[in-house]
Amino acid sequence: MNSKNRKQTLQCYAWAAPSLILIAVIVIFPILYTGYISFTNMNVYHWNNYSFIGLKNYKDALFVFDSGFLKSLFWTIAWTVVSMALQLVIAFLLASLLNMKGLKLKNVYKTLLIFPWAMPGYVSILLWKTGMFNSQFGLLNQWIGKLGFAPIRWLNTDTGAFWWCTIVNLWLALPFMITIIDGALQSVEKSFYESALLDGANWFERTFYITIPMIKPIIGPSVVITVFTTFKQFDVVYLLTRQVGAKTGADFSTIMTYAYENAFITNNYGYSSAVSIIIFVLLLIFSLVINRNTSRAGK
Amino acid sequence: MTKKIISLILSATVAVSTILTGCSGASGGPSSKASDPNTIVIWHDKEDAVADVLKKQLDTLSPDINIKLEKKTDLTESLKMVGDDPKSAPDMYIFAHDKIGVYAEMGILAPITDIIPKKDLTAYMDKTIEAATYKGEIYQLPIYYETLLFMYNRLYMKDEDVPKTTEELYKYMQSHTSGGHYGFVEQHSTPYYAAGWINGFGGQILDDNGKPHLNSEQVENALSYHKKFVKMMPGETEYSTVNTLFSEGMAHSTIAGPWMVPTVKEKGMDVGVAAMPTINETGTPIAPYMGVQGVQVLKNAAKNKTKAVKKVLEVLMKPEVEVELANASGCAPANESCYDLDDIKNDEVVMMMKQTADNAVPMPNLPEMDVMWTVLGDLLTDVNMSGEDIKTSADKAQQKAESLIKSMQ
Repeated sequence: MNSKNRKQTLQCYAWAAPSLILIAVIVIFPILYTGYISFTNMNVYHWNNYSFIGLKNYKDALFVFDSGFLKSLFWTIAWTVVSMALQLVIAFLLASLLNMKGLKLKNVYKTLLIFPWAMPGYVSILLWKTGMFNSQFGLLNQWIGKLGFAPIRWLNTDTGAFWWCTIVNLWLALPFMITIIDGALQSVEKSFYESALLDGANWFERTFYITIPMIKPIIGPSVVITVFTTFKQFDVVYLLTRQVGAKTGADFSTIMTYAYENAFITNNYGYSSAVSIIIFVLLLIFSLVINRNTSRAGK
Repeated sequence: MTKKIISLILSATVAVSTILTGCSGASGGPSSKASDPNTIVIWHDKEDAVADVLKKQLDTLSPDINIKLEKKTDLTESLKMVGDDPKSAPDMYIFAHDKIGVYAEMGILAPITDIIPKKDLTAYMDKTIEAATYKGEIYQLPIYYETLLFMYNRLYMKDEDVPKTTEELYKYMQSHTSGGHYGFVEQHSTPYYAAGWINGFGGQILDDNGKPHLNSEQVENALSYHKKFVKMMPGETEYSTVNTLFSEGMAHSTIAGPWMVPTVKEKGMDVGVAAMPTINETGTPIAPYMGVQGVQVLKNAAKNKTKAVKKVLEVLMKPEVEVELANASGCAPANESCYDLDDIKNDEVVMMMKQTADNAVPMPNLPEMDVMWTVLGDLLTDVNMSGEDIKTSADKAQQKAESLIKSMQ
């Protein structure tokens, strides 16, 4: 490396330094600190006088990963796959509609579609729970009551809870995906479509041979981020079905709600940190698989 | 290859960030406390009516002592984070007694008797002192207490119709539950509310040694008997549904906290409060949990600001503070002598809480109780909402409670 190149490299790092320092403080440090705590017996009974206990927490934590954990893992994978598939298809269709030639009031639609994103997630979720699903006051049961049927408890079965949680998650997540895909669609060179039209390609052909390959690299990182957000989703599942004092009877839990109910409530920070690190490793493996597949698809 | 490694690290970084956010709890943040020995910072989570009375009374110490009353919605988590850091922690906090065990074990609390003599506490109701005691030490100066109450809407349920026993209540529910109206509603599968039925059957959720008893005969009998009432209530067990049904006049009676009374009165309801119905099976009334609200002193303040802390406690021990709180927000005084005063005698809600308190059980203040809320909640939903077998569910819950308690160590 000559001195000019070295100078340029150093300059690049200097420009990126504030962001790197921020990432180190708010992301890297907590990971390392969690790792450190996981090797100690820090809990209510040893709050200040905690000591190193080696791998004991990891040994104990592995007992958490019993059949209940495997069931939660299965639900989490199913939840991530279904949520992501629906998000991508619906967001793509809506973004395509927004990019239709001659569409009037485009900005009004965009504002409306982004609205769920502007609301705090906690409020949205509880509004869905009471405003839509409640057996006494929920809109769905009001309609059912008008038709002369008995109210339905939408969230009290495992499958029911799974689908309704998925729908609420879609409501919360679609604005992000629509925005990303909308931006990606606008970046596609229009001359490709003109040539395709001259060649007689229909909408499906234009979509599969031009649009999707062109937007794939642009939406790729957002999809990866959303996959992780969905995989470790806590709020939607917990607030809709598992909140203490407001449980619905469904036994649908993701690995995060399972870890919360089986580790975090114990006030044993060493043990909870070990559980967090194990989940972190699981996500790391998951990211490795996704990255490998993304690179293969990119070739 | 380098790109691959970088992308992997970045992905993993994003992935783990929220997990850690979940474990981080709430940060306490530095309070505006000065190290001045005459400045006392008190955290609380109380409604404005209560805080205003406390502020007015504590301001009488000014200018000698400067009191900073700070409202913290995430008080319990913040205390865990900063409780042993004198720069960020408060000097005292006002909260229910059930977290005493956690903070005492963490070593951040000072026994109240380090500052005021034990004999000065004889004026307090025995149950409030029992609630404030953990492992033989009194960690809280009680101010007021709360219990659930049997409430009814006089528009539908006349005073003479108020059920004296649970079977009378059941008959009332049978004849008045139809067409979107309910004879009686409660948060049937919420541990704090269901505990009254379990206690009434002589059951115990957690004993004094921190051992759970979820599969005892008494608990199973309570769950079995309670279930027939649950069948005539709405499917939801949460606060908003149950309280809205009662406050909107769709439920004739309920078991709720005293905080419900001002809300329904504002809506123009002629609300009555009555003694808890006696459970026919046991001859004991429904015995709800009792929560004692009081002030706790942090170890650092007890050591470094003893004089100022003592003066604050002396103000809060005055019976007139408790009377004023009762007038402002219906808080039942912890000091026995207050019940001889006309202001208190004439308060129907406060006097009914006193009567209910005779049978009420102070919420356990052991750290183990933290896991019991979740486990008991699961047991109640399994039995009441998923229709699972009581014995099997109780055994499963007992096993889970034992395992979680073991994990706490």
